[in-house]
Amino acid sequence: MTRDAAIAPAAGSDPVSRQAGRVLLATGRRGGAWTWVLALATLAAAGAEVLLPTTLGRALDALGGPHVMGLLLGCAGLIAVMVAAKVVGDIATGASTARSTAWLRMHLVEHLIAIGPLATRRFEPGDLVTRITRNASEAGQVGVATVMVATALIPPLGGIAALMLIDRWVGLAALTGLAVMAALLRVFVRDSTETIRGYVDTQGLIAARLLDALSGARTIAAAGSIERERQRILQPLPQLRSHGLRMWRNQAWVSGRSALIRPLLQLSVIAVAGFGVVGGRLTVGELYAASRYAVLAAGLGATVGYLNKFSRARAGGRRAAQLLAEPVIHYGTATLPPLAGQRPRGSRLDFRGIRVCAEGEPVIDGLDLTIPAGATVAVVGRSGAGKSLLAALAGRLADPQEGEVLLDGVALPELSRPALREAVGFAFERPALLGDTIEDAIGFGSVDLRPEQIRWAASLARADSFIERLPQGYQTDLAAAPLSGGEVQRLGLARAFAHPYRLLILDDATSSLDTVTERQVGAVLASGAWGQTRLIIAHRAGTAARADLVAWLDRGRLRCLRPHQQLWGDPEYRALFGADTPATPPGALGVPA
Amino acid sequence: MSAPAPVARVSHVLLGALRRSPAALVRLAVWSVFELTPLLTSGYGIARALDDGFLAGHPRIGLAWLCGLAAAVLVGALATRQVYRVLAQIVEPFRDELVGSVVGGALQRSTRLDGRPDSGAIARLTHQVEVVRDTFAGLLLLVRGFVVSAAAAVIGMTALTGWVGLLVLPPLLAGMAFFLLSLRSTMARQRDLVLTDEGVAESTSMLARGLRDVLACGAEERACARVRRYVDAHAEAERTVARMAAIRTLSVAVAGWLPAVGLLVAAPLLVAHGATLGTIAGALIYLTQGLLPALRSLVDGLGAGGLRLVVTLDRLVEAGERPRPPEPTTWRRPDGHDLVVDGVTFGYGRHAEPVVKALHLAIPAGEHVVIVGPSGAGKSTLAGLLAATHLPQRGEVRLGGVPVQDLHPFALAGHRVVIPQEAYIFVGTVGENLRYLNPDAPATDLDTVVEALGLRPVVTRLGGYDAMLDPRMLSAGERQLIALARAHLTEAPILILDEATCHLDPVTEEGVERVLAARRGTLIVVAHRISSALRAQRIILMDGTNLVAGTHQELLALSPLYQELVGNWGNGDGSEGPQPTSVACGPVSTG
Repeated sequence: MTRDAAIAPAAGSDPVSRQAGRVLLATGRRGGAWTWVLALATLAAAGAEVLLPTTLGRALDALGGPHVMGLLLGCAGLIAVMVAAKVVGDIATGASTARSTAWLRMHLVEHLIAIGPLATRRFEPGDLVTRITRNASEAGQVGVATVMVATALIPPLGGIAALMLIDRWVGLAALTGLAVMAALLRVFVRDSTETIRGYVDTQGLIAARLLDALSGARTIAAAGSIERERQRILQPLPQLRSHGLRMWRNQAWVSGRSALIRPLLQLSVIAVAGFGVVGGRLTVGELYAASRYAVLAAGLGATVGYLNKFSRARAGGRRAAQLLAEPVIHYGTATLPPLAGQRPRGSRLDFRGIRVCAEGEPVIDGLDLTIPAGATVAVVGRSGAGKSLLAALAGRLADPQEGEVLLDGVALPELSRPALREAVGFAFERPALLGDTIEDAIGFGSVDLRPEQIRWAASLARADSFIERLPQGYQTDLAAAPLSGGEVQRLGLARAFAHPYRLLILDDATSSLDTVTERQVGAVLASGAWGQTRLIIAHRAGTAARADLVAWLDRGRLRCLRPHQQLWGDPEYRALFGADTPATPPGALGVPA
Repeated sequence: MSAPAPVARVSHVLLGALRRSPAALVRLAVWSVFELTPLLTSGYGIARALDDGFLAGHPRIGLAWLCGLAAAVLVGALATRQVYRVLAQIVEPFRDELVGSVVGGALQRSTRLDGRPDSGAIARLTHQVEVVRDTFAGLLLLVRGFVVSAAAAVIGMTALTGWVGLLVLPPLLAGMAFFLLSLRSTMARQRDLVLTDEGVAESTSMLARGLRDVLACGAEERACARVRRYVDAHAEAERTVARMAAIRTLSVAVAGWLPAVGLLVAAPLLVAHGATLGTIAGALIYLTQGLLPALRSLVDGLGAGGLRLVVTLDRLVEAGERPRPPEPTTWRRPDGHDLVVDGVTFGYGRHAEPVVKALHLAIPAGEHVVIVGPSGAGKSTLAGLLAATHLPQRGEVRLGGVPVQDLHPFALAGHRVVIPQEAYIFVGTVGENLRYLNPDAPATDLDTVVEALGLRPVVTRLGGYDAMLDPRMLSAGERQLIALARAHLTEAPILILDEATCHLDPVTEEGVERVLAARRGTLIVVAHRISSALRAQRIILMDGTNLVAGTHQELLALSPLYQELVGNWGNGDGSEGPQPTSVACGPVSTG
């Protein structure tokens, strides 16, 4: 669904196109002073370029005369200005593009972060990466492309003016030729934007398939199906080639015509000027100058390259705008009432009349639930009962369609971002670890932590021993660390323990731990790392048993909220944990409890 | 790293690409000569048109010369169109080849034992392949263009002015030498540009996968700062590369403009020795319209594009697909399906502490075993060794009496199926996903398996077997169920589940394990919950250095570790037994 939206050709002036225009404008502005330096240098070079043929022509005419040296020096001077201006222009181009690209990339990254996890529902991760890397760098060319497109007109226009000054007929001959060229250029811009978009989208498709396959590497390795995967990923390749060939055909078309028009233009100018020489209206120097000006005038064709760059920038800007059009999460300004040293240091959490639908089906339907301050509440229920959604709602990783979630009496959307995130922490079943080192990954949050805090949190999560066995301990490069699912989960727990949250939400965060480690971590949770309120999505009876209360979710509603011991007698409750297998309590297995 | 090695490697690849299309190359050469006919004839024709025609008072002769030039232009323009078409026939197949190699290389690397998802692959696929495509095409155009133009300019000049034409050579050579000297350092800068570009892609990729966690941790600023570091480094590299471009502009000034200035300075002398004005004008046209543009394109092309091509293509080759090692000529066939682990030692990496040491274990065909143990005790490693996805550093694993490395990979895949924790679901139809391990499975088998595993509601929701499936529309548990259904659809006599049920609720997990255990053949389960152990015929307990195998009762008697593992399961703290009387909670469902 989302992929289609990205590929679908957009109608003329839709909101995305307008947004793309705004994005490109803002991106171009970030080039700053360097863009102006580039503009000035390009102007100087263009000026010298326009003056040079006249000066050369006069020198030709003056050959053998007394003024020739002065004119020749003038030529050399103009050449020097042209070279110097181009050198400055090169440096300015790099600086301006670098600034624009970096700004747009960070703008996209900031927006992506502000959209939050919903972004990956609409765009695949690989597609997001393409937008921030390749498309942003194309759009970052917009400032330079604009200067080039604008100043590229000066030598041709200067050439036409000079032709008109040299001889009216020569000028008219040149103008006629140019009119033909201009008509051809218009066709090209439209064509190439469409083709390039088709090409880029097909590329995105292949990238997305590759990314999927990379995440299933173990399955592929075991099934020995690399070759099959390769074929599946490369399936859109013929489509890519046909878009690619179309790009080359565009290019051949334009190049063929400009290869024709430019020299023909020059030849007709020389022919007309030749009759001027025969008639005595023009000198040889003027004829030479006219032939050079014809080349300059035909330089209108060179703007094709810049226009091409410009249309790539447009395509890139459009892909950036699609991302920027996604709504971001809004926060309020409220802060939480202070806990004023009271024990326990936990928040009270209220769910009121919550209703959430996914694809038209209610997942949570009319849920009311209060988590008392400082309590540990386990949430249980069968797969699909809405447990993970409840966890997401509790910390505003998602908003309900109806009803509200209150933390210490304040509705979550009213809280400021720092107030919310300093109060509520998460540990996940499959945490994504971010940062450069293991230490970074544990300390990942809104504030910087001291190394001893990080080590303390790691020991609470029983992660300290395996971290110390890593090649560089806490400083081990995260990307290079060989971590199992259970180890990743323990790092995720350590990350959650490291910060003094008022409410800690564990979404199946101990599922990959073995039973012993799970019990040890469970004991930490039971006492509370910071004495905070704990909301634990549980699949194990042991976890539920250690909680103060169990919230039993059934078909999107709260079935009941009671201590585990009061529920354990219910066979349906025991069935949630697969606990009917031994009809006897654990003691009967001969193990002291 | 020194420059020549990548240049050599890249040249090899490029020459290979060219050699594969010799017909296209010949056509390219022929069309190139035609394309440059107007240039070769321009200076001379104009000089004649002036001297013999317009200056001599014979405008018709002048016009005739110009018409001749116009005819050459027509030929040139037709040739230009053909040149691009021929170019596409060389470049597009090369691009396809590169995309294939990038995809193949990424798959090879991430399916290796210590493989990690290769996030740089996306940058290679979308960005670097394009860089190579554009620069390779550009370079082909430029090099042949420069060769023909420079030759045309020197030939034309010499035809017009005699020995003076050779004066072009010294500044041209000096400028080129200056340019070539700067190449090495330019190349290093270009490499920085590519590396920082990959850094941006990798950090962005990490971010894109971790958006939920960034939000949950309130670490927006920190996440942003991390990407910013790479983005800024890339911008700095981009600026440095631009400064190298300025040096190239200077080289062009020396090589291209100096001959023109030289001609101007010599002009009074040439005229004094009888050169006509037409000759001087024609010579200037060769220099400013022939040599200079071709030179500028070549230097810019080589400096920006050529080095970019070398650096980028070198990285693509480095990360590309490797030819598969030569296969042994004879593969062996297993005799039965008994699995034997004989004195096996295995660790991740040469210097790492072994995860299993001198391990002995036998699993007879048809047995249902469960591997349990604390996290990090080597359960998954043992499963990998049994599955032959990990090869022992010492000792051997034998399947039906044959060491596993002597079995053909396809035969191996037919003998055993491994379902890992991370279920792999791809964009394709539901049926394709289910038939992944057995593409020929008939629809009736699909129905049977789907019913047995309780997948029917999922399949119906997705729109049936022929509906396209978006992996993001499935929960982790549903993904695992589909992966398990795949396994069930195969006839493989050995089935290894490596925590493959961890996202299922315990009730579903139990159902699935019963269904799979009822299947003929060996079932090896790396247990996610200790409850799995109670369903097995034999339990293998791993605790780092030791391995104990036995029935539930035997292990309870033997192993304190096992007692602890089991004791902690069930009624949690174990302080109280069931209290049947206290159940009165909500609607009680029947059944």
